Amino acid sequence: MININQITLSFQDKTILDNFSAQIRRGEHVCFSGSSGRGKSSLLKIIQAYLIPAKGEISIDGLTLNRLQVKNIRNKMAYVPQNIHLPVKNGTELLEMLAKSQLSEKAEIFCEKLGLPREMLSRSFDEMSGGQKQRIVIAVCLSLEREILLLDEPTASLDDEAIDALIECIKGLENTTVVSASHNSKWLNAAGRVISI
Amino acid sequence: MKETTDIGLWNLLLAFVGMAIPLFVFYYFKLKVIKDMLVGMIRMVVQLFLVAVYLEWIFKLNSAWINSLWVLIMIFVGAGTVLQRVKLNWKTFLLPFALAGFVSMLIIDSFFIGIVLQPDYFFDARYFIPITGMVLGNSLNHNIVGLTAYFGGLQQKKELYYFLLTNSGSKRQALLPFVSDALLKGLNPLIATMSVMGLISLPGMMTGQILGGASPAIAIKYQIMIMLAIFVGCTLTLILSILFSGKQLFDEYGNLKPEIIRN
Repeated sequence: MININQITLSFQDKTILDNFSAQIRRGEHVCFSGSSGRGKSSLLKIIQAYLIPAKGEISIDGLTLNRLQVKNIRNKMAYVPQNIHLPVKNGTELLEMLAKSQLSEKAEIFCEKLGLPREMLSRSFDEMSGGQKQRIVIAVCLSLEREILLLDEPTASLDDEAIDALIECIKGLENTTVVSASHNSKWLNAAGRVISI
Repeated sequence: MKETTDIGLWNLLLAFVGMAIPLFVFYYFKLKVIKDMLVGMIRMVVQLFLVAVYLEWIFKLNSAWINSLWVLIMIFVGAGTVLQRVKLNWKTFLLPFALAGFVSMLIIDSFFIGIVLQPDYFFDARYFIPITGMVLGNSLNHNIVGLTAYFGGLQQKKELYYFLLTNSGSKRQALLPFVSDALLKGLNPLIATMSVMGLISLPGMMTGQILGGASPAIAIKYQIMIMLAIFVGCTLTLILSILFSGKQLFDEYGNLKPEIIRN
C-alpha cells in the first residue's frame, strides 16, 4: 500500500500541494487528475523521492520513504516519464542501460500488446512518431514487472486506438499498483479511482 | 654526445614570429580567441621563466619537503584550472578535485618512481618533479574533456538519469552511461596519441632527452614509462574526480542537487 500522508510542497513561495493525503491499495489503478500546475507530476516525483516535500511523509508497504529506504522503495517501481524523448537509440539500448537485456522478449510482447510490431523495440527512435516512442518506453517499463507502475501523462502522444490498447494492457496486469497522472477523459474513465487535486 | 645548443634570446624572440599565422587565421575567420591566445602565450612565457628560477633553486636544494610542496601546489593549480574550464563552483569542488589529483599522484609516483624507476633518492627533483608534472599536465587536459562530458551530460540528460535511477533501482547503473561517456571522451585522444607515437609524432619527453644528450635507446624507455604513467594517471584522476565529487553533486536520495545542475 502507498500511504501519502499530509504532504505539503512549495516552489518559490507558491504552495503546490497543501496537506495532501491519499491511500492507494495494492493492485489498485489510481489516477491523479487536475489542471496543469496542480501538482500531478510532482506527486509522482514525490513518490520516487525526486522531490522532497516540506512537510508530510510517504510510506510504501510499511517502509517510510527516507534516505535509508529510498533504494528499496525505488526497486519496487517502474516509471514512465512525461518526457519520452530520451537520448537513446532505441528500446533495446534502453534495456541495456537498465542492465535488463534479458527482458527484451518480454518487452517485445508488450510492444505487441500496445499495437506495435515486435521488431519496433530495436528500431531507431529517430524513425518513430511520438506515440510509437511513448509505447516503446511503456513496453520497456512494463517488462520490468515491478510492483508499482508510475505513469506520467501516458496518453500524451497516443491516438484513441493506442489509448485503448494501453488501457487493455494495464487491465491485464495482475498485482501491479498503477499510479498515473493524466487529464485524458478516456484514461480517467478506465482508472479504478480518480483523485482530483 | 654533444652538449645541447643553447637558443639565443633574439632567436627565441624570432620564434614568436610564427604566431603571426594563427593570429591571421583567427582574425580572418573572426574567431574571438585572439585575446585568450595572447593572454595564454604571455602567461606561458612568464610562468616558464618563473619555473626556471624555481627549478634552479629546487634542484639545488633537492629537499623532499620542498619538492613535495611544489607538487602539492601543482595539484591545487591543476584542480583550479579544471574548475575554471569546466565552469564549476570553486568552493564546492576544489577539495574533491585536489584530493583526486593527490591520490592519483601518490599512486603514480609510488609505483612508477618507487618501483619501476627506482632512483637512489625517491624525491630527487630530477625525476620526481618532471615525471609528476608531465602526468599532472596531461591529466589536466584529459580531465577537462572528461569532466565537461560528465557534468554537461548530467545537466543535459537529467531525464535519462532519473529514468534509469527508478527503473534500474541503482544509482551506479543510472550513472554508468555518463561515466562511460566521460571516460571515452577523456581518454580516447590519449589512446590515439599512443597508437601513433613515434610514427607521426615524436613525444616531448623523448625529444627533450635526446636534445639533452641522452641516447635514443634510453629516451624511448623513459618515453614508454611516462606514457604508461600518463595513461594510468589520467584514468585515475578522472575516475577519482567523478567519485570524490559525488557528495557535492547528489543529495542523500541520489537526486542531482539543483544548485549544481541547473535547468
